[in-house]
Amino acid sequence: MREDTQAAALASLGGATPLRLHNLLEQRSVGEAFEAVESGSLGSAVAPVEVLAAWQRELKGIDLNALSEGLDAAGARVTTLGDPTHPVQLVNDIDPAPVIFGCGTLPDPSLAHVAVIGTRRASSIGREVAREIGMGLAEAGVVVVSGLALGVDGEAHRGALLAGGAPPLAVVGSGVDVVYPKRHRDLWEGVVAAGAVLSEAPLGGRPEPWRFPARNRLIAALSDLVVVIESRASGGSLLTVEQAIRRDVEVMSVPGSVRNKAAEGTNQLLVDGCAPARDVVDVLVALGLSQTALATRRGSADAGVADLAVADLAVADLAVADSAVVDRSGSSVRSGAVDAKGAAVLDAIDDGPTSMDEVVDRSGLGVLEVYAHVEELVAAGLVVHDGSRIRRQY
Amino acid sequence: MLASIPSSTLDGIDGAAVDVEVHVTNGLPAFTIVGLPDASCREARDRVRAAVESSDLNWPMQRITVNLAPTCVRKVGAGLDLPIGLGILAASEQIPLESLSDISAVGELGLDGSLRPVPGILPMVDVLKTDRVIVAAADAGVAALGAGDRVRPVRRLRDIIDVVSEGLPWPHVEPPRCDDEVADEPDLADVRGQASARWALEIAAAGGHHLLLIGPPGGGKTMLARRLPGLLPDLSAEAARLVTRVHSAASIRLPGSGLVRRPPFRAPHHSASMAALVGGGSGRVLPGEISVATEGVLFLDELGEFAPSVLDGLRQPLEEGVVRVARSGGMREHPANVLLVAAMNPCPCGEGGSVSCRCGPSARMRYSRRISGPVLDRLDVMVHVDRPSPTALLEREPGEPSSAVAQRVARVRELALSRGARTNAALNREQLEDAAPLEPEATDVLHQALTDGRLSARGAMRVRAVARTIRDLDDAGPTLRARDLYSAIGFRVRPPMGSFDA
Repeated sequence: MREDTQAAALASLGGATPLRLHNLLEQRSVGEAFEAVESGSLGSAVAPVEVLAAWQRELKGIDLNALSEGLDAAGARVTTLGDPTHPVQLVNDIDPAPVIFGCGTLPDPSLAHVAVIGTRRASSIGREVAREIGMGLAEAGVVVVSGLALGVDGEAHRGALLAGGAPPLAVVGSGVDVVYPKRHRDLWEGVVAAGAVLSEAPLGGRPEPWRFPARNRLIAALSDLVVVIESRASGGSLLTVEQAIRRDVEVMSVPGSVRNKAAEGTNQLLVDGCAPARDVVDVLVALGLSQTALATRRGSADAGVADLAVADLAVADLAVADSAVVDRSGSSVRSGAVDAKGAAVLDAIDDGPTSMDEVVDRSGLGVLEVYAHVEELVAAGLVVHDGSRIRRQY
Repeated sequence: MLASIPSSTLDGIDGAAVDVEVHVTNGLPAFTIVGLPDASCREARDRVRAAVESSDLNWPMQRITVNLAPTCVRKVGAGLDLPIGLGILAASEQIPLESLSDISAVGELGLDGSLRPVPGILPMVDVLKTDRVIVAAADAGVAALGAGDRVRPVRRLRDIIDVVSEGLPWPHVEPPRCDDEVADEPDLADVRGQASARWALEIAAAGGHHLLLIGPPGGGKTMLARRLPGLLPDLSAEAARLVTRVHSAASIRLPGSGLVRRPPFRAPHHSASMAALVGGGSGRVLPGEISVATEGVLFLDELGEFAPSVLDGLRQPLEEGVVRVARSGGMREHPANVLLVAAMNPCPCGEGGSVSCRCGPSARMRYSRRISGPVLDRLDVMVHVDRPSPTALLEREPGEPSSAVAQRVARVRELALSRGARTNAALNREQLEDAAPLEPEATDVLHQALTDGRLSARGAMRVRAVARTIRDLDDAGPTLRARDLYSAIGFRVRPPMGSFDA
């Protein structure tokens, strides 16, 4: 019998918390532990006697073959602490994570890992910042670790996927085959395709409330640095921060408006002494990753250098736009899409939400012409138009 | 003695001929009205008696029976007061019976013997075929649209007696003053900035495409919508008559000249019921707002606040241009050829898309889901209306006036007529194939949008119609270019609104 199937079976037992699983597996191999539960030969040091009795009954009802097929069907792998493929960051963690389910490919552990977390009910600015930071980190080759939740978490991953740089890593509170929240199905699948989704919950595991604080500890354990974007005064993100502090992981906080309820927690973190993160450059500098980023930041204080930096950025910008056009020039429409006027319209569109009238004003073209060019750019995948606003897409 | 006076009553927005038969005979004094009168019609007994006595005439102390034939049609309103009164006077031999030959009458009597106007006078006189049609002086203008010089307007019952028994000429009634309807319509020149919204209005007006305005409160959505009728051409003679009939039946104040020449603008409040919007009511079937706005603009402000069932009730009328209201008394078909303009906020707080938005993603999602997809699908042009920038507001230069835009609109509408449809939006699939051939690049554009899932099959048809309008507004070239289609797709409604933040 495959050990991973047995481990999956053990993790799916009712009340199999990480701590109990750790007690069970600390001194035993998975096979031994499985037999011990099956034969009822365990002492109450592992778990209360009635729980062990329940496990024994439950284990008899589990069809290991079906479970094994289920794992394969979900494309999920199970690793335990002893496995060489178990996430290395978790091996010596203070709160052991004995059994981990995973989908996708684990990012190279030698890459820097940064958690980008925050409230589910983020303001539109918070979501925008999350996306930008996610994008910037991935571009700089940093693994974005987050929870795939609504709001900040999801946006951070969305940004990382858009950038297409370093692979993203998600730790979720439900089973790796249970997409939660459902609205993030595309994002979830994107993360699995580009990076990995990890969970302690068994296959088919519901997103039970107690799973989320446990999930937060894994996010903290997997990361070299935690960036909190928006958090209410008593938000779940602050639990992650606590876990990060227990592990001596640096925490950075994005300053928010003092009138923004969603930024009360993050502003309190700043008061408590966290380093502020104004943008991705601050984070990269804290990671010691970015000489160029630092130069850009310093340059903005120095007019001469700033011009140079801006010029460089503009060139980079064009290169991005060009490559996008070339990449997507599958059909004649697409390659022909961006002519001189199209480029002028593209120039008039910000990275942030821009209104049609603003584009009309800036480009100096007629309204119908602007609508036509914007739609061409949408077709070419260079901008997004949600009916109200347009923004660039990279 | 027996007298019979032709008259009519209102049935939906149509007139129904009624013969008022009056029988006066010896017996205990009594006054009964039979023949399915409604309450206001039955009350005629008291009004007619007082009016007769106030006009220095005698009330016969005999047995009076009034029959309203045909008895199967429900008689509504007080318009039958006058024929009942005339019938009683003739049957009691106070006026010569033969003097009333070839006279019909419609009007409400006051207790002092004066004659009052009644709603629906136009459809009602339409069914009266006599040489002379007596109506209240206040109804003269509108009635003349139906009966021309057969109309005999009078101010009081006594005037009629003077003519028929004394041989005096019909009294001269000054025709009501004509006010200039157009002067009431607000002008597009008042709108500062709003470049995209102006174009959206022009496209909607020119092609008859239903329009959705989205934007924060104070952005000017209502202001823009009110300027839409001013861009539409005058109603054709036929349409003007139809609209006047509907307005007359719905008791809406008609312009001084009687005939509604300008497209109507109706803006029902979002608490409107299904019956108020599509028509109905118990007993008499009244035209709903969608019929009152026919040939004009129906403006639904705060679209998200309308009851979903009411909005869904608009789907069939918008599709077919008529609304069929079925009641126990039968089915009525009312016109419903409206240009629908809907306005809504982008999210509950109204600031959606800008940095000050306080709504959570799920609140925004719920808000945009309040409007059913099939309703959104019928809105062909969407535009985001932002608050105008301060510079645009302080601009002294007025915008392009409505009259200039209206000229372009009229030209495009004529093109649509030459293609065999009322508007470009009404072109059916075959007509579109003929009238809106695609250039090869344009086919690619549609193909790409369909493949990417940015357009549905139905959406592609609608886009093609809008693109036809856009090309017509531009240079009226025969084929559709890629850019025309791109512009049309750009103006298309995108269902998951606020998707940046979801």
